[in-house]
Amino acid sequence: MTGTGGAPEAHPAPELARQSGDLVEAVLRFCRALRDRGVLLTPADAVDAARALRVIDITRRDELYLALRAVLIGRVEEYPLFDSLFDDFWRDVAADGEGTGPPGWVAPSLPGVQSSSGLALQRWGDEVSGEGELVGMPTFGDQEAVAEKDFSTFGSGELAEIERLAARLARRLTARPSRRWRAVPRRGRIDPRRTTRRALRTRGDVVELSFRKRKPRRTSLVLVCDVSGSMDLYSRFLLQFLYALQNHFTRVETFVFSTRLARITDQLEEGSYRAALRRLARDVQGWSGGTRIGESLRSLLEGWPRLIDHRSVAVILSDGWDTGDPALLSEALRALRRRAGRVIWLNPLLGSPDYQPLTRGMQAALPHVDVFAPVHNLASLEALVGHLSL
Amino acid sequence: MRAEVRKIHDLMEREAYVADPAVATSVYLAIELGKPLLVEGPAGVGKTEIAKVLSRALGADLIRLQCYEGLDATTALYEWNYPRQMLRIRLEEGTSLSIEEKEASIFSEEFLLKRPLLQAITHAEHAPVLLIDEIDRADEEFEAFLLEILSDFQITIPEIGTLRALHRPYVVLTSNRTRPLSDALRRRCLFLWIDYPSFDKELRIVRSKVDGLNDELAAQITGLLQTLRKLPLTKVPGVAETLDWARALATLHASHLDAETVRETLGCILKEEADLRRVERELEAGRLEQMSQVLQ
Repeated sequence: MTGTGGAPEAHPAPELARQSGDLVEAVLRFCRALRDRGVLLTPADAVDAARALRVIDITRRDELYLALRAVLIGRVEEYPLFDSLFDDFWRDVAADGEGTGPPGWVAPSLPGVQSSSGLALQRWGDEVSGEGELVGMPTFGDQEAVAEKDFSTFGSGELAEIERLAARLARRLTARPSRRWRAVPRRGRIDPRRTTRRALRTRGDVVELSFRKRKPRRTSLVLVCDVSGSMDLYSRFLLQFLYALQNHFTRVETFVFSTRLARITDQLEEGSYRAALRRLARDVQGWSGGTRIGESLRSLLEGWPRLIDHRSVAVILSDGWDTGDPALLSEALRALRRRAGRVIWLNPLLGSPDYQPLTRGMQAALPHVDVFAPVHNLASLEALVGHLSL
Repeated sequence: MRAEVRKIHDLMEREAYVADPAVATSVYLAIELGKPLLVEGPAGVGKTEIAKVLSRALGADLIRLQCYEGLDATTALYEWNYPRQMLRIRLEEGTSLSIEEKEASIFSEEFLLKRPLLQAITHAEHAPVLLIDEIDRADEEFEAFLLEILSDFQITIPEIGTLRALHRPYVVLTSNRTRPLSDALRRRCLFLWIDYPSFDKELRIVRSKVDGLNDELAAQITGLLQTLRKLPLTKVPGVAETLDWARALATLHASHLDAETVRETLGCILKEEADLRRVERELEAGRLEQMSQVLQ
């Protein structure tokens, strides 16, 4: 490739050679400042930034700005943050290129940073929610009465229906084929590559066909259910739903939280629903307490760091009444969003027509959620089946 | 502007691409640092055009991979030409070649159908421009697969061996943000966001791409499009629509815009029934003219 390697040596500005130590240091500090504000940067990016500075005119502020932005920023949502930080950091670089004297690289004193990053983060929130990332699903009107009935008024007789839906959901999740093929003995699509190979043995006559099939996609499911006091009306039925999912789908991990997170996969795994409930009552404390979603999510990410990857669908079931710190919730969700293939927030309150997701917790959460949907009746579970795929 | 960036800028302008410093700098850095350039932005703002213009400006071949859901290695990378292999086996039937020899002959490069990625890697003369269009439409597994290729530009074909790129291609990826791309991919690329152009830039685009418009009409067209983008439309018209419309009006020998002409040709810029109705209402109320006037 023409440009690589050759270019930096081709333009060694003499003053740059003298200042390069300072320059590299300044770039590293700028990268660190960006990283502190949540921009994902590796040392390799800093190296690229330093390389970029060698091939542009660094006395021009506009060029410096465009080059660093192109190298260090990977998403448009980070442009405002970059802009404000860039202004603080590279203040001394001449704006017009006719700078008097050499540009001062050792500029960055960052007293105003706290306030500016806070502002930028607020602005992100505005932008993302303004783009309409939340997907509200209408509740169906053509279902039988039981489908419309709110879970909070449910009797135990109707639980069989939940079970049926959970099974469908699980099937749907496992049935998605991946792009990779595997050979199968018969019945599948013809595998031309293997067929041709086998035909060689019989002088090119296709005696036997080889077949192949799509490998199933390995989607895993991580369920995190709020069992705090405000969810009491729904917890019982959601637990039934979790139990059913756990038993119809192999790659699923289930957690509940109120003020603390608890893993209940093992408790749900065996025996009848009743037995599972008994085990839960014995092993898990702190039901119906306050809510600390942010902290609970963080302990999920820290306590089970390898559980969630891009093939996982993370499902949070909560009404968003959070007594913890909204900033923490937003931070934890952002980290979760980064790791998981999809983050789905199911909110039982969303089913009521006049509900607005205005709680502080919900406000902090929405920008980081792929799907925001109601889960208050069977119809909403039914609609969810369409959303729960990677 | 540094001379080299200026050169890229001028090269692009000469190919009738109205570039701005952000585009020129990103393209320049992508070439200099040898990194792929990821271009994101709304539909119809000229993302794909960057790769096309770049290839013309560099005198390089353009290899395009259009992504879609379900795109897999056989359509993106390579596939064996099975009918031809069969034919060869038939032709060699009477010969005394051993099975191994026959196998070697039908699994050689001659029987390989090169799809875009392999074409880009095995391109012989000089580095081509590889355009990976609408990467957000391909699924995540393909994205991961693409990452592998973009990091070392080599492909291993079991029957042949490892093919290494002779010339690293210049890579441009575009995305319409229908799904979030992975951080890994973003880290690998330089990033450029292109938004709808400003009035001045769009006017320059119209002037440079469409002949047969007078100054007044070109400004009116641009002004109206800028106004339309402020309305809550389902499908916001991009620059491509602006150009379609300008060409249509030039063909009709229109000299200026009036409500009648706009109504008759609105189909060039609005593709949704609801949007059409909405804009017609605005036209009737005379609001659009007012707003466009203010813009100029």
